[in-house]
Amino acid sequence: MLTRGFHLADNTQTEFKPPKGVSLWQDGFRRLFRRPIAVICFAVIIFYFALAAFIYLAEIFHWQIGFTLWSQATGPSYQPPCRENIFGTDIFGFSVFRRMLYGAKTSITVALCASIISIGIGVPLGAVAGYFRGIVDEIIVWAYSTLSSIPYILLIMAFAVVLHDKTIAGFKLSGITSVYLAIGLTSWVDLCRLIRGETIKHKEREYILAAQSYGCTNSRIIFKHLLPNVFHIVIIIFSLQFVSFIHAEIILSFLGLGEADKPSWGAMINDARIELARGVWWQMVAATVAVFVISLALNVFGDALRDSLDPKLRVR
Amino acid sequence: MNTDANTNGFLLKVDDLKTYFPVRKGLLRRTVGYLKAVDGISLAVKPATSFGLVGESGCGKTTAARSILRLIPVTSGKIIFDNIDILAANSARMRDIRASITLVFQDPFGSLNPRMTVANIVGEPLKIHKKITGSELTEQVRLILSKVGLSADAINRYPHEFSGGQRQRIGIARALILKPKLVICDEPVSALDVSIQSQILNLLKDLQQEFSLTYLFIAHDLAVVQFSCDIVAVMYMGRIVEQAPVSELYNNPLHPYTVALMAAIPKITVSPQASTHRLKGEIPSILSPPPGCPFNPRCRFAGENCFSQNPLLVPVAGNDEHLIACWHIKK
Amino acid sequence: MPEIDTLLSVENLSTHFFTQQGVVRAVQDVSFSVKKSRTFAVVGESGCGKSITALSIMRLVPEPQGKIVAGKINFGGRNLLDLSKKRMRAIRGNRIAMIFQEPMTSLNPVFTVGYQIEEAIRLHQHKSKSDARDLAIQALQQVRISDPKQRIKEYPHQMSGGMRQRVMIAMAISCKPELLIADEPTTALDVTIQAQILDLLDQLQKQSQMSVLLITHNLGIVAERAQDVAVMYASRIAELSDCKSLFDNPLHPYTQGLLKSLPRLGFTGKRLYTIPGIVPEPLRFPAGCKFHPRCPVGCNDKRCQTVEPQLRSLDNGRAVACWFAPGYERPDNPK
Repeated sequence: MLTRGFHLADNTQTEFKPPKGVSLWQDGFRRLFRRPIAVICFAVIIFYFALAAFIYLAEIFHWQIGFTLWSQATGPSYQPPCRENIFGTDIFGFSVFRRMLYGAKTSITVALCASIISIGIGVPLGAVAGYFRGIVDEIIVWAYSTLSSIPYILLIMAFAVVLHDKTIAGFKLSGITSVYLAIGLTSWVDLCRLIRGETIKHKEREYILAAQSYGCTNSRIIFKHLLPNVFHIVIIIFSLQFVSFIHAEIILSFLGLGEADKPSWGAMINDARIELARGVWWQMVAATVAVFVISLALNVFGDALRDSLDPKLRVR
Repeated sequence: MNTDANTNGFLLKVDDLKTYFPVRKGLLRRTVGYLKAVDGISLAVKPATSFGLVGESGCGKTTAARSILRLIPVTSGKIIFDNIDILAANSARMRDIRASITLVFQDPFGSLNPRMTVANIVGEPLKIHKKITGSELTEQVRLILSKVGLSADAINRYPHEFSGGQRQRIGIARALILKPKLVICDEPVSALDVSIQSQILNLLKDLQQEFSLTYLFIAHDLAVVQFSCDIVAVMYMGRIVEQAPVSELYNNPLHPYTVALMAAIPKITVSPQASTHRLKGEIPSILSPPPGCPFNPRCRFAGENCFSQNPLLVPVAGNDEHLIACWHIKK
Repeated sequence: MPEIDTLLSVENLSTHFFTQQGVVRAVQDVSFSVKKSRTFAVVGESGCGKSITALSIMRLVPEPQGKIVAGKINFGGRNLLDLSKKRMRAIRGNRIAMIFQEPMTSLNPVFTVGYQIEEAIRLHQHKSKSDARDLAIQALQQVRISDPKQRIKEYPHQMSGGMRQRVMIAMAISCKPELLIADEPTTALDVTIQAQILDLLDQLQKQSQMSVLLITHNLGIVAERAQDVAVMYASRIAELSDCKSLFDNPLHPYTQGLLKSLPRLGFTGKRLYTIPGIVPEPLRFPAGCKFHPRCPVGCNDKRCQTVEPQLRSLDNGRAVACWFAPGYERPDNPK
């Protein structure tokens, strides 16, 4: 007599396992990975991350595997691409290919750390501003409006210069740390704005009112009710912002504010400035190709994420 | 279960409740006027009864309900619930009160958090107030779900996996899990399909009997209110214009607005008199209500007094329980 | 029904939606006729397919997911489904007009009300700007909006819900259509405004002899305003009848259950009759008769469980899709 499976109760429960439901997250990710392009891009992204992780571990544990040894001369200086060195060598005879791989580790590390900082600041501030409105909102909006009115490059440079080689609480800030601190501390504004906007919209929903009506505290409402419903934005923004963080790192390294001694794509492009005059193009190409592929993958994936995770776009 | 009551015998007593929203204009955000959403209503609800609040959109019934729970700041008035002055309660007291007065919402789609399982949605009030967790919580959730007609299969599922009627049952379960004394039902069936409405209305009645609940029932459908309530108050532009026990109101409606409202409801047995009671005009903007009785622009009987003075809600001669706010009905 | 009287006749219309989760058969094998100068109501609950039926007649079904897969829609001697897109556009808004449930989202918020009415007029009647303006003012007068010269300069958000719906009606009738399709025109309005709008539609209908196809879920509106009615359930027509006979003597168990379960003014019982179960999801329609799981007579009947009943015409001009219908002994009259 029933069409939906569970309906009018029969109180004959003894020992049973209630079936697990399909959450909106699961539904979204299922739909995401049904699209071949999303799967391909995801594979590319995972590959880069895995590479970065591997190189990171290799560095810590001093593993001596071929392609991680970027500081080993593999050929004569400025050797063009050939069979031994796919992307040729740089001025020291180091394999450009190996430098390119190491650059992945640099970029991913920077972008990841910057993302964490940016999310850690932007999301709580946005949620608090959107939920409480009033004076709290005014202060936070004023803060980020001021910050975002300063040209991005100047801001990053200022942070990077100030933090460069400084020691905070006994912790020495190496070149790369200053880079991702600079990027993270200046990039939380967009996320904050979006989270604030979504929070303002969601605040009016009846389930928030319901939570208030049975005595939920404000902090519980923000963290248990609101944030899970706006978090899909964080994921989407994370993937799209990742690209701009990689680009930001490149620019900073290009300007000489990054890590001086370790390879990075920005540094490679910086070197390539002089090298191009001598007809040495392979470092430029290597770095550019590496950046392009990950940027494309992240952009396409980010769009696919948005299409799949936005609950309003579900076909119901 | 519901033995506590005010010394007057009322569980909830509202006196001259006013909820005004300031209207701010200009660069300096100066207050230029007030949106009088609720403009002085008084009502008294006896325990284990159903009090219905009926009116069209903008009449203030939903604002009144939310004001009683202090979900909206109240401008003036008194609200006594179970001998406690709600408006004077501090936040700790208010939290306790929120365990005794719960809300059932209109929109079964929007009133449940889409990212939480049914177990979490229904069980959260228990977590907050009684600090119950784990298997004991699950047991209580299962129990209340079975009372509202849902099988325990539902507990790990998400709201979007249910139909509108089932979601409304989840909402009702959430409202009842703390065994409240007063349940405010804000248009509980308006958003449901016709064939499901009767299921939910029956359910609400059954639950009221089983748990000795008191309902404050808000609706715009007079037929629903007639079935579900004992006393009905008709609201218009923030005021109560008529109030009476259900059978009295339906057999003997006196206020012109009530009469017009009843006539406007499309009925299956068509009464030939219907079109003569048609109301003209729109509901005036609540920002600039007409002086005197708020109904005067649309009232057939509007006389001199009606344009200058707001009529008070007084008992009709010969029947203390039938109240009316109208200069015209002065018998 | 003699052919002369029929304005629109729908024959075996089927509209399907092709989604990732499967084929949603939103409208299946629907047939009915709308006579001239009469109001025909299509009544049913959410998901029954009544709105999609209306959109199919206007050929406004969202593509590419939606597609009219079968059937004929005969209007003015032609099958609307055979017409080119250009010809259909000439009919839409001109000879067949439609008004919707939500006036706020159906009107463009960035244009004045006058502009939108004039646009509709100029599209179909090739009038000059000033002529169109006069016609627009006339149209607003016809729908009883006071001070129309001032109103045409206003924007939708400056008007109340009832007023916006009147504007929509003005737009719809500005080209004097032969058929007006009204999809839940008063659901979003208050009861007293609803009564005004329905009265207005009655008057306009009498003035211009146009037919109205009224889509609603409110049986009371059907009883008061329509002459003929089709009751839809889960993408099919359950019962087709003139209104008086339907309410006096409903034949389909779904109609009977619906009428019995409605809370009515004057009802003094302690419990309402309920139709058990829930409305089935389009992707999970039961086999056989779609209503059988909830049907007091058919839930245990083998034929109802396996074979879908077709809409069968009876002698008195009515039609029912139920294995038990002709000669079925129904329980008490739902009054």
